[in-house]
Amino acid sequence: MTEETDIAGKITEEKRENVSLLEDLSSLESYARELFSFSPLPICFASPIGVILEINPAFERLSGFGAYEIIGEPIESFFKKEDILNLSKETLEKGFVRERELHFNTKDKGEIIVSAFSQIRKVKEGETIGYFISFFDLTEVKKSEIELKDSQTALLNMLEDVEQARKKSDEERNKTVAIISNLADGLIVFDAENNLSTTNPLSEKIFDIKGRDVMGRSLEELETFPTIKPLIELLQKNPKKQLFREELVLQGETTLEVSSVFMMLEEKRTGTLVILHNITREKVVEKMKSEFVSLAAHQLRTPLSAIKWTLSMLLDGDLGSLTADQRSFLEKTYISNERMIALINDLLDSTRIEEGRYVYRPVLSNVKAQVQTVVDNFQEEIKKRGLKLEFKKPDKDLPKVRIDEEKIRLVVENFLDNAIKYSSIGGSLVVAIEKGKEEVRVSVTNSGIGVPEEQKKRVFSKFFRGSNAIKTETEGTGLGLFISKNIIEAHGGTIGFESVEGKQTTFFFTIPMKEEFEEFLKDF
Amino acid sequence: MKNKILIIEDEKILLDLLQKKLSQEGYEILVSHNGEEGLTMMKEQKPDLILLDIIMPKMSGFEVMEEMNKDPELKLIPVIIVSNSGQPVEIERAQSLGAKDWLVKTEFDPQLVIDKVKKLFA
Repeated sequence: MTEETDIAGKITEEKRENVSLLEDLSSLESYARELFSFSPLPICFASPIGVILEINPAFERLSGFGAYEIIGEPIESFFKKEDILNLSKETLEKGFVRERELHFNTKDKGEIIVSAFSQIRKVKEGETIGYFISFFDLTEVKKSEIELKDSQTALLNMLEDVEQARKKSDEERNKTVAIISNLADGLIVFDAENNLSTTNPLSEKIFDIKGRDVMGRSLEELETFPTIKPLIELLQKNPKKQLFREELVLQGETTLEVSSVFMMLEEKRTGTLVILHNITREKVVEKMKSEFVSLAAHQLRTPLSAIKWTLSMLLDGDLGSLTADQRSFLEKTYISNERMIALINDLLDSTRIEEGRYVYRPVLSNVKAQVQTVVDNFQEEIKKRGLKLEFKKPDKDLPKVRIDEEKIRLVVENFLDNAIKYSSIGGSLVVAIEKGKEEVRVSVTNSGIGVPEEQKKRVFSKFFRGSNAIKTETEGTGLGLFISKNIIEAHGGTIGFESVEGKQTTFFFTIPMKEEFEEFLKDF
Repeated sequence: MKNKILIIEDEKILLDLLQKKLSQEGYEILVSHNGEEGLTMMKEQKPDLILLDIIMPKMSGFEVMEEMNKDPELKLIPVIIVSNSGQPVEIERAQSLGAKDWLVKTEFDPQLVIDKVKKLFA
C-alpha cells in the first residue's frame, strides 16, 4: 500500500465518517421533532426574555390557537402574567420547576388550570438560550377534586348529622331514664311477648322486688312472686283491653290505681305500659270525708226528726188548738224542715255513691207504672203553678225491665221537680215514655229558663246549679242530677239533656231492655 | 184492757213525742232509754208491741232483737223498728230477725205510727 493511497483512503474514510455523522445528526433531529410532535403534552420553548420560539401540536390543540398565532408572541399572552413571570424567573435561576399550577389562556375554554414543568436549555458553552415548558390540563383533575371535596363535605356533614342524632338520642334516652326513675308513679313495661322489660325504682319499692330478679320474666313466672301476684292477676283479667284503669288493694292497706295501656306502633302492639298510682292517701281522706258527712248527716237527722214530729203534732192539734196565723207559720216551718231533710238525704246519697255503697235492688218492673206514680204525686204542685202537663205514654205495654224502682222514681222526681221549678209562668210540661230498639226512654220537657250554653258541661257534676237557676229558685242542693246520673249509669243506661236557654229543656234517660246490664248491677 | 206498747229510744224528745201521741190514742206506754233496760222491762211487763230504735249506746236494736229471739216468750212480741236510716241491708237484717215493719224517722209523721199500730192490733 502506498502513502498516497493511504492518504486518499484516510480522506475517503473521513468523508464517509462525516456523511455518517450528518446522517446521524439529521436522524436525531427528526427523532427529536417526531418525539416533540408526538408528545400528547403541550410543550413550548421560550427565549430567556420570554418569547415563544417553538411549540408542539399538543400546545396548539389545547390553546386552540394556530402556531402562527403563537410563535413569536410573548409567553405571558398565554398564561396568567404573574404565574408565568415567577416560573420563568425560577427556571432561569434554578434550572427547572416541577408541578407548578398555572392559569393557561385558551381560545375556546377561556382560562384553565394546568400543572407545568420547566427546564432550562443551555448551549455547550453554558449560555442560556431559553427554557422548555411542558404542562398538562388539570381541569378534569380539578373537577374531580371539587367533586371529591363536595363528597367529603357531604360525608362529613352526614357524619356530623349522625353524631348529632346519636347525641340527641342519647339525650332523649337519658331524659326518659331520668323521667322514669324519678316518676312519682310506679311504672312497669311489658314487651310484645308480655315479658317484663322495664321497672322504675318506685314500682320496685311498691312490690318489694329487685329489677334484676324480674327482668325478662313472663307473666306466669311473675306470678310466683307473691308481692306482685295481685297485679299480674289483674292484668291477666283484662288481657285484651287496650286501656283500662282499676283500683288494686295490696296487703298493708296500700291502694293503687293501676292504668294499663297498649303501646302501639303502626297498629301493632309493641308492649304494655302499666302505671301504678298510689292513691292510699286519697282513699283515706275520701273515707274520712264521707265518714264525716255520713256522721254529720246522721247526727242532723235526729234533731230534724224531733222538729218534724213536733211540728206535725202541733199541726195535728195533739198539743192544743192553733190560731190560723200560728198554723200558717207552722206549716211553712214544716216545709222548710222537709227541705232540710231532703238536703241531708241527698248528701248521704252522694257520699254513699262515692263509697260505692249506694245499693241497687233491681226487680223486673214496669217503667210506666213508676213514672205514673211520680207524675201523680206532682199533680197538685203542677196545678198550683198553673202549668199544663201532657203525659205521652205508649199504647202498648212496654216490656218489663230490671230496675231499682225506688231509685228510678227518684230520677223521675228530680227531672219533674226541676222542670216545674224552672218553668215559665203558664208554661207546658211534657213527660214522655217511648220504646226504642233496645231501650226504654223517659223524658221530661219544659218551657222555661233552660241551661246556659257555657254551663252545659257541668250539669251532672256534684253541687252544680245553673247561674240562672240560682236566681229563679234559691233552694236546691245541686245534687239531684249528680245522683240521677249515677243511678242511670248503674242501670247501664244513658242520661242527657237538650236545652235552649230561655226556651225549653228536655232531660231524658234510657234503660236497656237487654238482660246483660244485670252485670252492671252486680257491681253495686 | 189497754194494749201495752214499749218504746225503746235513746233520744228523749223523740221518746216524749211518741209517748204523747200514742197515749192520746189510749195505749198504755212503757218507755226505756236503752236496750238493756228495755229487755228487762219487756221480761217484766210483757208488752203487746215494741217500738225499737236501732242506733243506741251499749246495745243496738239489732242486739236487742237477737236477745229477744233467744227467749221463746219475747220472741213472739211484734217489733216495729223506728230508725234514723233506712238502708236496704239494715232493713233486711231486721226482717230476718223478725221485725214487722221499718220506719225511717225523718220520713214519717207520728200519725203514721198510730196507723201502723192500729193495723197491727186490728
